[in-house]
Amino acid sequence: MFEFIKKSRGILGMNARNLEYIRPFNRVSAKRLADNKLLSKRVLKKNDIAVPALISQIKSLEDLDGFDWQKLPDSFVLKPNRGFGGEGIVVVYGRKKRRDDAWVKADGSIITINDLKNHTRNILDGSYSLSGIPDIAFFEERLKLLKLFKPYAYKGIPDIRIIVFNKMPIMAMLRLPTKESHGKANLAQGAIGVGIDLASGVTTTAVLGKQKIIEYVPGTRLLLSGIKIPYWMDILNIAVRSQEISNLGFLGVDVAIDKERGPVILELNARPGLAIQVANLDGLKGRLKKAAGIKIKTVKKGIRVGMDLFGGEIEEELEEISGKKVIGAIEKVRLIGKDGKEIEIEAKIDTGADWSSIDNALAQQLGYGSALEEFEKLNISYDDLKNTNRDERRKLYEKIPDIISAIPVKSSHGYTYRPMINIEFVMDNITTSTKMTIVDRSHMQYPMIIGKVNLKKFLIDTSK
Amino acid sequence: MNEINFSVSPILTFFLNEGVPFETIKLILMLPIIATLIAFLRQVIGIKAFGIYTPLLVTFAFLATDGLRYGILIFVMIILIGMLMRIALKSFRLLYLPRVAIMLTIVALSILLMLAIGGSLKRTGLASVSIFPILIMITLVEKFIAVQIEKGDRAAILLATETLLISILGFYIASWEVLIHFIAFYPWVILLTIPLNVIIGKWTGLRLSEYLRFGEIIKRS
Repeated sequence: MFEFIKKSRGILGMNARNLEYIRPFNRVSAKRLADNKLLSKRVLKKNDIAVPALISQIKSLEDLDGFDWQKLPDSFVLKPNRGFGGEGIVVVYGRKKRRDDAWVKADGSIITINDLKNHTRNILDGSYSLSGIPDIAFFEERLKLLKLFKPYAYKGIPDIRIIVFNKMPIMAMLRLPTKESHGKANLAQGAIGVGIDLASGVTTTAVLGKQKIIEYVPGTRLLLSGIKIPYWMDILNIAVRSQEISNLGFLGVDVAIDKERGPVILELNARPGLAIQVANLDGLKGRLKKAAGIKIKTVKKGIRVGMDLFGGEIEEELEEISGKKVIGAIEKVRLIGKDGKEIEIEAKIDTGADWSSIDNALAQQLGYGSALEEFEKLNISYDDLKNTNRDERRKLYEKIPDIISAIPVKSSHGYTYRPMINIEFVMDNITTSTKMTIVDRSHMQYPMIIGKVNLKKFLIDTSK
Repeated sequence: MNEINFSVSPILTFFLNEGVPFETIKLILMLPIIATLIAFLRQVIGIKAFGIYTPLLVTFAFLATDGLRYGILIFVMIILIGMLMRIALKSFRLLYLPRVAIMLTIVALSILLMLAIGGSLKRTGLASVSIFPILIMITLVEKFIAVQIEKGDRAAILLATETLLISILGFYIASWEVLIHFIAFYPWVILLTIPLNVIIGKWTGLRLSEYLRFGEIIKRS
């Protein structure tokens, strides 16, 4: 029971969302911007953030009477300016063949000018607006579905919700419209929410509607985890930038990806919902508290810190399953030399090399200078060693402390034998005690390479 | 109810002597208590209902219809008709207010029919229900339709059910003799609802319903 209460502390509830985040961080004027789609569109566009293009708007019944329906393009979206929860939106796919007064909707049904007029009248009347106040109707460009999302989305455009706080991305989810949600990307109406790992932009866990945890798109064998969201860095970038522009401290940004234009901001949300926590199977409150204390100056920094703090779930999971650590192509390594002398350097991970090796100069710094000198003094050539076996070679170097043996190494001037020492190094918190060769790497970028024998405990992610 | 056979506070005695009926005083004093109950159920337990106004009014409508049976019957009928009418009116594509007006008309006529049937079945209790609580309940239709449009049928039915449950609970609390006697003797205790609401208003913990909603996260973390 105690454990249960403790674990629930990281979860953001409605009360805390309203009192601790929306009230203090979202001012009335900023909220007004978010609630007014046309205004936020204009402001974002002015700041060079991509939004769906505005086609035209109808502000009053007189506008409606004088509206030229023929000038509408073949496909468009009709929206209420102050709508919420995806209500009142009509998506039109194309003109009905051989008719000049009708279009075809997402579900194949026909919508005529008269239907559109009626719907517009309802919008103007405030049927879809927050608290029913009179509203404006507007037409905007219909975004085109990305091929990647085609099998996952039912007749609508998926979008990506990102919670931004203190200039940091805090949590993200991909919302996929379903049959039950009538092609709307709204969880309350039965859409699918898929958690996204902030660091990699790869989907993790998923929820159908408000509560049901799922792994596959219902009725299919399409796995919902492991989808890599394209343009991930760009998406995070416009999300965090739109926080700067809108002044909403606690913001939910909805981003859609257009086939041709890439990521565009659909809308800003001053009262983001809490379902994102279920999609990610993680609490928002814990993350928001972590983010609150940090001073962030630039958008870039905020994104990086957010990715580091709240991302990496996929990597952790991978490490858990495989029991191996995930490292990048270049890793920080701490070498422990003679007399406990420690030097930290960057090493190149080289799966083409059998053994790890370090540069002469680095070996000297680590206290192997004299051993190296004596090795050179013996001056045994490659030809001398060519026909010896391992034991014979060992014997040759027995007298030199620290040097265990020599192995052939190919370099720009043919094969040479290089000394091998015993040394310990620490990479990603794993300490390895190993044999290692000392070579001349003075002309290389990194003073150390790590070869196959020392990589058994690691998986390499070259994008890291 | 003119004869009060239990002790009341001097303030109440003064009101009673001035001719204010006890029933009126009772309802007025119960109002802050029921309102606080609704606030508590929303913020701490997580039962939403149609805001605070509707369950409060329905509670008092129940109190005034003298017994829950007819109150609940009328409530359920109004919601049922609201649902049916939405389906029936869908293809007409009407504007919001005219649509609500048509619904109100149908609901009103249905209630009238119900009262007549009740009378013919010798259910005199139904026919003698006073008209104002019924009118109050009819206005439920608008709330119901508004939620239906905003959040869909399921949400509207859920909220209606929650409203009904809260109102039934409110009814039992407001007609609880012990509480009535207590408040009649210490009417000032209703002032305690103010600090109580300050506490509820600053409550940032998870609602009970949210432990259920986010149970999966807790289980799997």
